[in-house]
Amino acid sequence: MKRLIGASALALALSTTGAFAQVTLTLWTESATAPESVFAQEFSDMDNGITVDVREIRFDDLVTDTLRAVATRTNPDLIAIDNPDHAAFAARGAFLDISDRIATSDVIDIDRVFDGPRASLTWDDAIYGIPRASNTIALYYNKDMYEAAGLDPDNPPQTWDELLEAARALTDPDNDVYGIAFSARASEEGTFQFLPWAQMAGGGFENINADGVADALELWKAFLDEGLASPDTLTRGQWDSTGTFNGGNAAMAISGPWELGRMAADADFEWGVTLLPVKEEGGPRASALGDFNLAVFANTEHPDEAFAFLEYMVSQVDRVWPEFTRLPSFAGVELAPTGDARIDEAAQVFTEQLSYARNRGPHPDWPRISSAIQDAFQSVLTDQAEAQDALDRAQDQIEGILN
Amino acid sequence: MGRWVQGLRDGIGFDTMLVLFALLYLFFFAGLPLIYNIVISFQSVDVFSLGSLVHPVVGIDNYTAIFADPLAQRVLINTLIFTIGSVTIQFTFGFALALFFHQRFPGATWIRGLFLAAWVMPGLVVGVLWNWLLSGDFGVINHVLESVGLIDEPVFWRSDVDTSLYSVLIANIWYGTPFNMILLAVGLAAIPDDLYEAAELDGATAFQRFWTITLPMMRPTIGAVLALGTIFTLQQFDLFAAITQGGPAGSSTVAQYWSWELSFREFDFGRGAVISVLMIVVVLFVSLIYVRSTKAETQL
Amino acid sequence: MTRVNANRVMLVIAIMLAALYLFPLYWMYVTSLKTNSSIFAVPPEFLPGEPQWENYATIWDVANIPRFIWNSLVIATGVTVITGIVGAGAAYVLARYRNGWIDAALFTVLMLQVLPPSLMVTPIFVGFAWIGLLDFPRFAAILAISAKTMPFFVILCRAAFMTIPRELEEAALVDGNSRAGAFFMIVLPLARNGILISALLVFMQGFGEYVYSASIIADNRLQPASIGMTNFLQPNVVNWNAIMAFAATYVTPILAAFVLLQRQIVNGLTAGALK
Repeated sequence: MKRLIGASALALALSTTGAFAQVTLTLWTESATAPESVFAQEFSDMDNGITVDVREIRFDDLVTDTLRAVATRTNPDLIAIDNPDHAAFAARGAFLDISDRIATSDVIDIDRVFDGPRASLTWDDAIYGIPRASNTIALYYNKDMYEAAGLDPDNPPQTWDELLEAARALTDPDNDVYGIAFSARASEEGTFQFLPWAQMAGGGFENINADGVADALELWKAFLDEGLASPDTLTRGQWDSTGTFNGGNAAMAISGPWELGRMAADADFEWGVTLLPVKEEGGPRASALGDFNLAVFANTEHPDEAFAFLEYMVSQVDRVWPEFTRLPSFAGVELAPTGDARIDEAAQVFTEQLSYARNRGPHPDWPRISSAIQDAFQSVLTDQAEAQDALDRAQDQIEGILN
Repeated sequence: MGRWVQGLRDGIGFDTMLVLFALLYLFFFAGLPLIYNIVISFQSVDVFSLGSLVHPVVGIDNYTAIFADPLAQRVLINTLIFTIGSVTIQFTFGFALALFFHQRFPGATWIRGLFLAAWVMPGLVVGVLWNWLLSGDFGVINHVLESVGLIDEPVFWRSDVDTSLYSVLIANIWYGTPFNMILLAVGLAAIPDDLYEAAELDGATAFQRFWTITLPMMRPTIGAVLALGTIFTLQQFDLFAAITQGGPAGSSTVAQYWSWELSFREFDFGRGAVISVLMIVVVLFVSLIYVRSTKAETQL
Repeated sequence: MTRVNANRVMLVIAIMLAALYLFPLYWMYVTSLKTNSSIFAVPPEFLPGEPQWENYATIWDVANIPRFIWNSLVIATGVTVITGIVGAGAAYVLARYRNGWIDAALFTVLMLQVLPPSLMVTPIFVGFAWIGLLDFPRFAAILAISAKTMPFFVILCRAAFMTIPRELEEAALVDGNSRAGAFFMIVLPLARNGILISALLVFMQGFGEYVYSASIIADNRLQPASIGMTNFLQPNVVNWNAIMAFAATYVTPILAAFVLLQRQIVNGLTAGALK
């Protein structure tokens, strides 16, 4: 109902103001099939005098191309950007501060945004964008393999010890099965996968060498040293690693909701999703926060029209799950059933996990912080450093960046 | 005036124009960016100051930072191994293939053309294909080696710190051999048959013919192929990004990858530029060697 | 062993070598027919379990391949033309003389391709933005890419020119031709093979170029195939089979064309010319 009111209010506002003469906005994004691209097309088709031109840029190049564009003033009006990169632009004034517009907006209720995404949009107490969707990671597991190994498929591991035990029971080298698949790559994906474990142990990117984080590294090390996960975990991303799970060569996988479409199509076994196991019973929960935010550039010539597009996007938040299989970043959105019970169940788990999702940063120099963390886990997993030493070194580097 | 125009068509004027034109073009589109990189290596360049031409100068701070970096020594060694290994093996295989296909059996030229596949395939595709081939669990290379009994357990080419660099080396050899082959083939085809026939009549063995006719006549081609091969190898980036991302733990990081990481992952353009300046110094030596080697080329 | 038998043996060896070398190409075709998960199956499937022929239909619909390939052709042709025209003359001069200036020029030409495009693209982009070249994206990309291919072309063509005996040129001059005439009528045709093969390689480089095109060409309608393909690459989800199908669609005809062309060029008129 609120959505209907919001959308009609928006349509009414747009059609009656008449203040929008023919305006063309440019939007940069990483995919033509992402929500913002589809919504941009719809928004352009509406009778509001605004056209949104979408340019696709490969994800790896998005930030660099945008930096170059900002430097040469060839940047677009709108951009869809990965949430940890948001602060780099917000902190330097490249994005438009839309706090006031949001406060007076009928459509956007910023208080309904989950903590994690909201933190990524905020800098110095001002809001610099809206989230398009959010994702996180949880534990996928192969129920058939659980039964075969004598484990209870309805009682997946809840603590790190249980996870390790399960992985040991499920690893079957003779049949090419690893207990668990994840990613410890030297890239942002690796940090994305590692931070939740550090956070559940009581640390974070600001105190990566806190007591207990070394245990997280030891857990990962155990997975690799005992042969419970493939050695290629060090150079493989989440998509490829989970591909091995889908093919029946790993019993568990740590991945996100983006995987659901492929898994439902390709996996020929019963699977389920559960929250990431905590360090000890009753311990804090944490998970990673992914997916993109939308922002307006500060030097746009059409801030009102650009903001109108953001409002349109938020008004369509109910469609984010059914049409794009992405989790909305706003609380209280009903996830429509997809017709596949496994996906619906998984969506519930992911939504719950999302409430514990923590932001990466926000910090304008996030890539350097991420790099220090990658160096730490990669050096430990390749036996080139002891866990606590590596974490102390990373902490030194990070402190240098934070201050 | 007339003499000048005459000079253009006939004399040094004509020649100078030809060279100058190319050099000017290169200066604007390659020289200026090069100078830009050298300049920013002495400056502190931030993500947002990219567009301006003036940045705070920090002297040699970037250089000392790079040399003091614990990764520097590893990167230097890796780059040497990778470059020398790639160039020598690509050249050897390329030359062997060129000689083989020069034997003029039916079908030779058709099949030789197929080797150009590596250059037609997009870099992204080549990178990920080799990533999969070299993967420890589902990779074809391990599968074949295990099937014929050469190895007992899968070798994790990409993720083992001892083999990661060589995994990219293997992919790069595959990638660069056809370039060597086709150019050496052209060079071989340009040698007139009469020379070989005459030598054969004189009683020269195949080896002697190779040594006294083929090699000297191929000298310009060989020089060009080696110089260009070295430079291309120093620029090889896609394979590193796709196969090992310079890891694990920096074990397969080479200069060009490190430079990219510094510039586009950590946004420290000054330090990234330092590495490019160091690469310029290396190529300087390669170019000097090449130019000197052309002095000894036999002119027909 | 008779000549015929020797030929047969060598043909067999050649086929085996090619089969070995082309395995990654085969893997590309096979992957294009797999599902997104069976790519990672252990043990690896040498033939797709359930060939997904619809992958090809999907990309044809979704990706607008003809437009991308057209753009790639435009760029590659532009690059080859500019590189060829500007580079061939320079290569000729660098082959004809030997003195300090020539050495310096040769040295400079080689040096100017030291940096990988990823490091050159930022100053080039900034410079182009400054002079407004970005309004002509494909042309700007052609200019930038030509600078990358030209040193390579010059060095190779120079090697080709070096194989032509001076006497022929001198004979032409004695016959009353001007220098330019001697160049166009005598030298160029004789060095044709080397030049054409180098031009072919330049064309391939221009066709597959990614870095400059991605940064300089903002308009999706003007982008080449190398970029069109990356639209299937998303931060977490990668349709590898679609990417392979896309690649297969344009690699196959091009490879076929080049196999034909290189045959003509490399083994075209050689011995006869020198008489």
